[in-house]
Amino acid sequence: MILLALSAMAGTSKLMAPYLTDLAHRDDADRFQPLASHLLLTTGTPANWGQLAGTVPSSFGLAKADALQPYDLDIDKVTRLNGENAYSIDYSDLWQAFGVKDVSFQIEVKTLFQLSIDMISNATLGGLRVYEFRVTAAKSGMPVSAALSNYVVVQDFVNETACSTSSNGVATFEVGIPNSISGTALLLVFAQATVNHDIVSLGMYSFGHNAQSPLPNRTFTQLNPLDYVLNASLRYSSVEVSEAQMFTFNYNFSLNVKTQGVQTVEYSVPRLLDASPMVMVLTGVNGSASFAEWVTYPQVPLQVGAGFSESTAGSRIAVCSHTVTIGSALYEVVTKWGGVADNV
Amino acid sequence: MFDRKGQIRIIESFLAIAVVFSAVLVSMTFPSSPDLSKQNSLASMGAQALMKLDTDGTLGNLIIQQNWTSIKTALDILLPIGVSFNLTVYDELGQQVNPEVIQNSNLLGREAVSVQHLCATRSQTVQFFVVRLQLAWTG
Repeated sequence: MILLALSAMAGTSKLMAPYLTDLAHRDDADRFQPLASHLLLTTGTPANWGQLAGTVPSSFGLAKADALQPYDLDIDKVTRLNGENAYSIDYSDLWQAFGVKDVSFQIEVKTLFQLSIDMISNATLGGLRVYEFRVTAAKSGMPVSAALSNYVVVQDFVNETACSTSSNGVATFEVGIPNSISGTALLLVFAQATVNHDIVSLGMYSFGHNAQSPLPNRTFTQLNPLDYVLNASLRYSSVEVSEAQMFTFNYNFSLNVKTQGVQTVEYSVPRLLDASPMVMVLTGVNGSASFAEWVTYPQVPLQVGAGFSESTAGSRIAVCSHTVTIGSALYEVVTKWGGVADNV
Repeated sequence: MFDRKGQIRIIESFLAIAVVFSAVLVSMTFPSSPDLSKQNSLASMGAQALMKLDTDGTLGNLIIQQNWTSIKTALDILLPIGVSFNLTVYDELGQQVNPEVIQNSNLLGREAVSVQHLCATRSQTVQFFVVRLQLAWTG
């Protein structure tokens, strides 16, 4: 009797084992790793869906159409993942296009290291107001040695300085702004890692120069870069744009108007070979309030997808990290994968 | 008076339970196979880091300059936090080129994966190097 029962159990478990194993490994990293690579190595359909503002891809991939190397992502496909962009695609469309129905995912794109900017002091010196800043370059607390390119923008005034961080990743520098001008000032800091010039990070710091503290970014304009055109949508009819400028690690110049409509202006964005994120700054006034608003291109950092942190307690989540090229600069893409498509 | 058949059945069922539990216990003591998926993901990260570092010839230049500290710093930035690595550079004859250790922490006692990358310098006299990167998860 015992032998009979045991043989029956053994036979059943032998038969069921492959199916049980398959179910147990349904959410394994083994399965998610190739999905993450597929997402970053394929272009999606159509191959240039990033540039087509109204198009939702029928299959989802972020690779550049004519990429010469693997993990080279399309600047517009990445930009359209950012919810702040008017042409962004929401997660449910991305999930449908990805086509794996029992998998939910999250995509995060960021620079390989981060900057923090603090204003240490400010004082009047002759006709200038001199501001002193401290910049810290670090990756998860580990200091990064970098060359810094700093720009201060107040209306039409631009001041450029350059310096380097010490071995502990900290740099201090001073910026002088004439007291004859006033309004919202924007400090842009580009940091290029000493060890590899393709590793670039950036940071912004907004402050009032002889004026009140500035309002948050995107209060007066919505800036949408796509296909090397900056679309600026003015939120109020009273907003007047005085200047549109572009900044990278090595260059800064004014942008030319391409088309102008009712409360919208489009600017042509040149294609640069500079291994650096681009920052476009619009300065202007709304009544008596001045502004300096900005957008990055590619529009990073960004995070899109399922909110794993709040809804999938107990389920298995795989995290995959990839170093990718966007433009000519290097970025980090972190994808999270889980078996529950709960936020779709 | 006593139902001997019933007693036998009870003993039988206890025996069956004992056999099943012992089988479960024995199977639990078997060593589990290494987590290959985690190792694959490490290998992929390492290969990508070397590939990106070599894109514009930076890796070859750093090897020629014997700038081992910069190679270590670049890998520190390119690899995610929580990954330990040890890098060795070999020349065309298989001789180790780096006289000092290029690593962020010791890999001893950890399940490590090894990735190899063939690196060519971008100079008139092209030199080839084999770069071997060993990686392991910290903790």
